[in-house]
Amino acid sequence: MRRREFLSAATFMKAMPGYRYQFPRDHFSHPDFQTEWWYYTGNLKTAEGRAFGYELTFFRQALQPVVEGKSVWTTRDAYMAHLALTDVEGKTFLHAERLNRPGPGVAGVNASEQRIWNGNWSCVLTPNLHTLRAMDERFQFQLQLRPAKGLVVHGVDGVSAKGPQPGQASHYVSFPRLSTTGRIQIGATSFEVSGTSWMDHEYFSSELDPGLSGWDWFSIQLENNTELMLYRLRRKDGGSDRFSAGSFVDASGKVTHLGSGDISLVPGRRWKDYPVEWQIAVPRLGVELRAIPLLDEQELVSKSKMAPTYWEGAVRIEGSHRGVGYLEMTGYRADLRLGR
Amino acid sequence: MIRLLQRLILRPLLADWGRTGVTLMSIALGVAVIFAMDLASEAAAGSFKTSMETVSGPDDIEILATGGVPVAVLGKLMQLPLPVKFSARIEDYAIVNGKRNVPLVGVDVYANALEVEGDAGVAVELHGIFVSESLGARGDLLSLQVNDEVREYKIIGVINAKQLTGDLVAMDLEDAEAVTGRRDRVDRVLVSLPAGEKENVEGWVERLRPELPEGATIRPVGARTEENRKMLAAFRWNLRILSYIALMVGAFLIYNTISVSVVRRRAEIGLVRAVGATKALMTWAFLSEAMFFGVIGGLLGLAAGRLLAEGAVKLVELTVQALYVSSVASPIRFDPGAAALSLAAGIGVSLVAALAPALEAGQIPPTEAMARGRIDTQLKEASGRRLWVALGMVIAAGLLSLLPPIAGKPLGGYVATLALVAAASLSAPSLIQFGARRLAGVGGVKSLLAGRSLAGALRRSSVLVAALATAIGMMTSVGIMVGSFRETMLTWLDGQIRADFYLRPAGTAAMDRHPSISDDVARRVEALPGVAAVDRFRAYSIRYHGLPVTLAAGDVRAQMRYGRTSLKSGDKDEAMRAMLAGEAVIVSEPFSEKHHVRVGDRLELPLGAARPSFRIAGIYFDYTSENGYIILDQAVLRKYLPGDEASNLAVYAEPDADRVKLRGLIEASYAPRRITVFENGALRREAIRIFDQTFAVTYALEAVAIFVAVMGVAGAMLALIIDRRREIGLLRFLGASAGQVRGIILFEAGFIGLFSQVLGVASGALLSLVLIYVINKQSFGWTIEFHLPVAAMLGALTFVFVATVIAGLYPARVAVRLNPIEVMHDE
Repeated sequence: MRRREFLSAATFMKAMPGYRYQFPRDHFSHPDFQTEWWYYTGNLKTAEGRAFGYELTFFRQALQPVVEGKSVWTTRDAYMAHLALTDVEGKTFLHAERLNRPGPGVAGVNASEQRIWNGNWSCVLTPNLHTLRAMDERFQFQLQLRPAKGLVVHGVDGVSAKGPQPGQASHYVSFPRLSTTGRIQIGATSFEVSGTSWMDHEYFSSELDPGLSGWDWFSIQLENNTELMLYRLRRKDGGSDRFSAGSFVDASGKVTHLGSGDISLVPGRRWKDYPVEWQIAVPRLGVELRAIPLLDEQELVSKSKMAPTYWEGAVRIEGSHRGVGYLEMTGYRADLRLGR
Repeated sequence: MIRLLQRLILRPLLADWGRTGVTLMSIALGVAVIFAMDLASEAAAGSFKTSMETVSGPDDIEILATGGVPVAVLGKLMQLPLPVKFSARIEDYAIVNGKRNVPLVGVDVYANALEVEGDAGVAVELHGIFVSESLGARGDLLSLQVNDEVREYKIIGVINAKQLTGDLVAMDLEDAEAVTGRRDRVDRVLVSLPAGEKENVEGWVERLRPELPEGATIRPVGARTEENRKMLAAFRWNLRILSYIALMVGAFLIYNTISVSVVRRRAEIGLVRAVGATKALMTWAFLSEAMFFGVIGGLLGLAAGRLLAEGAVKLVELTVQALYVSSVASPIRFDPGAAALSLAAGIGVSLVAALAPALEAGQIPPTEAMARGRIDTQLKEASGRRLWVALGMVIAAGLLSLLPPIAGKPLGGYVATLALVAAASLSAPSLIQFGARRLAGVGGVKSLLAGRSLAGALRRSSVLVAALATAIGMMTSVGIMVGSFRETMLTWLDGQIRADFYLRPAGTAAMDRHPSISDDVARRVEALPGVAAVDRFRAYSIRYHGLPVTLAAGDVRAQMRYGRTSLKSGDKDEAMRAMLAGEAVIVSEPFSEKHHVRVGDRLELPLGAARPSFRIAGIYFDYTSENGYIILDQAVLRKYLPGDEASNLAVYAEPDADRVKLRGLIEASYAPRRITVFENGALRREAIRIFDQTFAVTYALEAVAIFVAVMGVAGAMLALIIDRRREIGLLRFLGASAGQVRGIILFEAGFIGLFSQVLGVASGALLSLVLIYVINKQSFGWTIEFHLPVAAMLGALTFVFVATVIAGLYPARVAVRLNPIEVMHDE
């Protein structure tokens, strides 16, 4: 296995500085990279103020750089997807996962159709509108997302570094503020909702550094029309890695890179293994915040060891500024493996 | 009451244990056969469900298409905004390690990866397989033959689904596609409905139908099992009827036993009546004797039946496989319903058989209790009248045979067989009287006495003759039917099998399984020197109006040149031209009978994604498939279902080609693939072998019936001896030697055998007409020409005659051992 990983990793393209982004091409698939994901999260409300959080994520994982075989079932990339809905008032967290091969159009990414999909979960990503559609036996939603701000590229010189080695990094692009409207249906009840979404698109070909056990990631949309993206790479000894980083997007859309020295992320109250409350500080920006979960129980428990189990949930932001956000905590149940 | 039962019924039963034992055994065997056949046919029919359906899991709906569902359909379905789950299946059979035929399924390992333990990626990467526990352990290597190729696979997981009873091999879709040759098609798409919608299967079928191509079939998942049951219904029904023969023979023996009891205990009955017992009580007492036989014999029969079922299931499975569906028999389950039914049949038949003698026991007036022989006299007087009734029965049987099937079952035919059996039984007394008189001289005084004693105890002897005649009649009739069928098939094969060599993938044949020969083999054989033509025959299992049918395509041009297929109806040249033009098909006779279609009718056939319509241009004779065939030209089929792989190849050699050399060349052209080559003669033998194999069950059931009858004769004769011990004693007293007494008894046995033969063969011949022209035609639709399998029949009849005489040996010995003085003193 080790040898195979070495061989295959050697032939995938690494995320290296100087990468030249080109859109809309770079919104879609990058098969030269081993791992890729499209991550939508958002905080939504009905007109009466009933709050929901949602997550719809598409993963692509290349199994090998080159796969021989001409069958429709021949599989170079496995497509996984996660779907979750937080019903704050109903105090329920619903989630579903699926894994598919591309097969005869079962899952995939199609740039000419501007589409990313896994079965009947899909995203149509056009310059002015992202349409999300997903359903489960218990719930479904259809959302229209309009970029209120342009996309941002995280990191330095086109790469978001995750470790000291060259290539231990990702290409990381976000839509930090997407005005969202749509309809959520739980059972037979539907809700007209509106709110704000965040979208991450990341692609890379590196394993998490062996010294790391996981990460804690925040997307924060403040009421003053600024956004923060912060992550802490968590070392196995419990400390923060020096490659932890973040970005600040000001009201005009300008991005400021934040290094690990700029950020303070202090875990607070715990639910099960997860610190679901956090103290967040970015002294350089005069920001001092508290992240409080809308619901403690927002853990995506995978039925399989093949897929990660993690906590990803809607949070509200208080402190020096008010706002909404999403918090993701990985590697608390077992060391996170990216890819295989 | 209890004491009465004990004294009048139980004590004599125990005292006369030999006869009691034989009667019990006959009922037990009858019940055992019914129960065993029921369990066995259920196991053979239900097995398809257990192996393929258990892996379907919680699925509700299935989507199928001839030649497979195009994968593009699957891609489209999976993106529908509906809360249902679709999963694709490739389904076939594999031969494991060159021996066992096991179901093979291709599943999407990725889509299932999140649901199962283990690493799906490993499965895909290693091209490994998952197997049922019965096939091996993790890490073992398994060689699988699919179609004509053998490959080795590593077991990377054992399926431990509790409900999985049969063998199963599962692999990823990609590997399954490669090994089965299904390019861009899957055999089934399964649909799982959300929890709240499981009751609304029909609604979802209608909802999904518009999303599918015209040629696709969508239906509830259980439909295949239903379809199999429907398909096997006629076969199982006839098997069940056959299984009742042994019990029918048993009924005569019960009748005989109870009659003997009544006659023997006249004195006691008179006495009991004289002290105040009612008529009804007497009747009940003897009915309870029958009840005893029914219950005890029935219970013994259930136990024996459960054991017999193990053997029976193998026989039934062979038949089902050869004629209908690939089935690996599921384990036999003790079915309480079937047990109750078999037991009820045993008890019911015992009571009905005992009714007449029991009623008669009630009629015995106390004063006449001591008068002997009266009933036999009555019977003698009535035997002439019975003959007329028998004639009426034969005529009734003839009329019943004219009835059309009722609810798809030849009920008229069945009643006709009962009428014929009854007619034979009613003729027994007259035959014995007539025969005994005619044969009196053949063996001197011994045969005279034997004949007189049979004619004298007419009531008992006629029952014995009737019982044995029934068994012989059944044997004869089925023998004639099978023999005729065989002969008809042989003649048909001569016309049908014209090619010099036939090739098919190695392995056992089954009606619904059509493994294919790799395309390059056909091309290489075609190019061999000495080969004039190669006819590629491609078969698919399809469904027509809810029943399985074999759709097959051949080279009509080659058929026109070399074949000699004769049509039952339709013009052959016109039919062939219309087939080549792609507007017509021909169908086999059983298909036309089963689906009530004739020449000129149109058939809509699901072919791939389309559903074209064809005219029936001809109906041809076929004796290989009860489900029937629809034949079209290969070029027409290829339009709808691409792919050149053939299920069989028929190779026509040049007239002057060296056959031996050619066979060698053919074998070299396909090595190392697993293909079986049959030369013309060998294929005929193979066809006959399969034919004989399908009737193995029938022969076994016949044998049991004959065995019961012969044992019954032995038991009844023993009783007869004991009853006549005074007479025998007197004969010895008057100077008869032991040899003479033995001779008399053996003559009696021989006479019973002979009379039964005469009656049995006569009724059997009539029965065979009903079987061939009514029951067979209405159940299966085959045209069978009447042939008398003389040699086989003579052999069987001689065997039964000898067995009857041998059955007389023990009673004869008992008779010889009687001490004359003791016997005379006794009375």
